[in-house]
Amino acid sequence: MIRDVVCAVLLLVGALSCLLGALGLVRLPDLPARLQAATKPQTLGLVLILVGTAVRLEFENAATLVLVIGFQVVTAPVISQIVARSAYRTGTLDRENLVVDELAGRMDRDAG
Amino acid sequence: MNVLRRWPQVLWLTVVHVLLWGTVSVKIVVGGLLVAVVVTALFPLPLLPRLPVRPWRLLRLLGFLVMDLVVSGAQVAWETLRYGPRARAGIVAVPLLTRSDRVITLIAGALSLAPGSFVLQIDRRGFDAGEARWYVYALGLRGPDDADRVRRQVLSLQRKVIGAFGSPGELRDCEEVGS
Repeated sequence: MIRDVVCAVLLLVGALSCLLGALGLVRLPDLPARLQAATKPQTLGLVLILVGTAVRLEFENAATLVLVIGFQVVTAPVISQIVARSAYRTGTLDRENLVVDELAGRMDRDAG
Repeated sequence: MNVLRRWPQVLWLTVVHVLLWGTVSVKIVVGGLLVAVVVTALFPLPLLPRLPVRPWRLLRLLGFLVMDLVVSGAQVAWETLRYGPRARAGIVAVPLLTRSDRVITLIAGALSLAPGSFVLQIDRRGFDAGEARWYVYALGLRGPDDADRVRRQVLSLQRKVIGAFGSPGELRDCEEVGS
């Protein structure tokens, strides 16, 4: 019974996190901002959903889920960073929208 | 033998193998060990001096990262719902505190894990003059105060990671910078 409740709460919160990520993907203004919403809340959502699933499984089946969490946590930041970097360089990043841009000075100095 | 000196890699691959099968039995462990030895012998990674690991600080770092994932997640959700298309962001320069490749990788991963911020660029030139910088993209900035807040957060995360994995010298240096 308690297991069911814990499992349900974890699954729902995880799903909510994924939903908020999807909303961000639609609502946020430019590529790097959308990337935040597209990659990160999903990590949290996936972790919560997998933990929720693990609560209901026997130990031996749950062990594999640990691997999924591990690889997700390690790989997601790398991908988002590579996309963001190319976004900045190709100008898909809306620079008008930035409050501060301390990288611009450095890039100009390098170019000059 | 080089495979013997790479025992941590063998151990790790065996653990992955056992987790994939999901059960612990002699056959699976020995099979995993064999596969791990063959893989390690065929695709050797460079042998590097091991990073010092301080377990207590590492545990605190992991705890912080989990908290950060939840708190930043809520912040980005708020930013999405409240501002949506009018959400603002910024790119903040933060001093780089370590010269070790592996520690930089770990810090970049830790910084980019939580929603709301990631590393756009790392500039390691002029480390000795204190000119090396992270360029961190952060969502949800409103003004210069927020930029300072991000700078402090990134510095404190750097200290946490260096605290867990940094060489003793670096640990001393970054604590001096902090005080």
